[in-house]
Amino acid sequence: VLVETRSTQLLKGTLDMCLLATIAQRPCYGYELVQQLADQGLTLVSEGSIYPLLSRLQHLGYIEGYLVASRDGPQRKYYRLLPAGAKQLEQWRAEWERFAQAVEHILKGARADAQSQPAYPTTDR
Amino acid sequence: MHRANQHIQQQIADLIKACASYWELRGVACESSHEMQLELEQHLQQAVSDGKSLEAVLGPNPVAFAEAWAREMRPRVFRRGIVVLRGLVYALSVVSSSALLSQLLTHSPVFTFTLFAAFLLIGSGLLALLLQLGGFLAPRISTRAGREALLLAGVVLAVLVLRLAGMKVNWSMALLSWSWPVTIVLLTLAVFLFVLYGWRPSHSEHTFSVRRVPMSVASVAVFDVMLFVASVALVDFCRLALRLM
Repeated sequence: VLVETRSTQLLKGTLDMCLLATIAQRPCYGYELVQQLADQGLTLVSEGSIYPLLSRLQHLGYIEGYLVASRDGPQRKYYRLLPAGAKQLEQWRAEWERFAQAVEHILKGARADAQSQPAYPTTDR
Repeated sequence: MHRANQHIQQQIADLIKACASYWELRGVACESSHEMQLELEQHLQQAVSDGKSLEAVLGPNPVAFAEAWAREMRPRVFRRGIVVLRGLVYALSVVSSSALLSQLLTHSPVFTFTLFAAFLLIGSGLLALLLQLGGFLAPRISTRAGREALLLAGVVLAVLVLRLAGMKVNWSMALLSWSWPVTIVLLTLAVFLFVLYGWRPSHSEHTFSVRRVPMSVASVAVFDVMLFVASVALVDFCRLALRLM
């Protein structure tokens, strides 16, 4: 449960970046975005939570929505990346890499310490 | 299988209606709301056909989902005014036309607007709204009848609580009374507001939905008849029911 909660929280904090990165690959509609995230192992607690974020990204001018005629039903709304979105994605990517590197560094250090030292201090230093 | 499919389609339709009403009340632009409804409906349809539940899309609280999306759509307070205007137009149309009918039928120069009529008018407006917003319960209470029964139970419970608290109401109490000229003024005002509502700016162009006129007139007429029947028969029935409670 703890692992689920942590991954849910991590996804919440990075969902806008993940959406932008997915749209950067090719224009997508809402359900397609959810499926692509799921294919990468990112399962959302509520799939609908992408829509408020997509609207925010749209208002910020990072993406734009457009309606495409569908063969078997009404029009479908697709999202595509805008130049401001591409720029923002680069910035977020760099920020994420720095962050992930720092966390990884800490975790590696903790693992090395755990292997070289006993679990509890035996002498008072 | 076909029945189950119909059932889920009904749930989706009710959820979409509830979201549409909520977004309208929150002041989301009409065009945006239509797009949001379209997107949500397509997502729900696809999710259901992939064997997912409605909760998998909307989460445990559909109202929170609708609110989160509405917040990102830059809602405007003035758009809520349009909803208020619509209610006002309807209420004014009912009151003025029932006053006119009453004065014509009873040859009385004065029309009295009672507390019961006000209760019926406001109560039915609230009930209609609650029935629409009740669609948010669709993932939990799957049938429309079940949701309506819950709403009815809530109303009966509220009446019982008020009754037990010792609240007594004089339903025939006159709130307002007016004569012929005021009725004509109110009727004119109702027509003016109806036209204003119909001609309100919608995006860049002005639209007047002529098709809605007969429907609105019929709806007001039905309400007038309901008000008339209710004021004659329902008052006695309610009195009897409250005595029994």
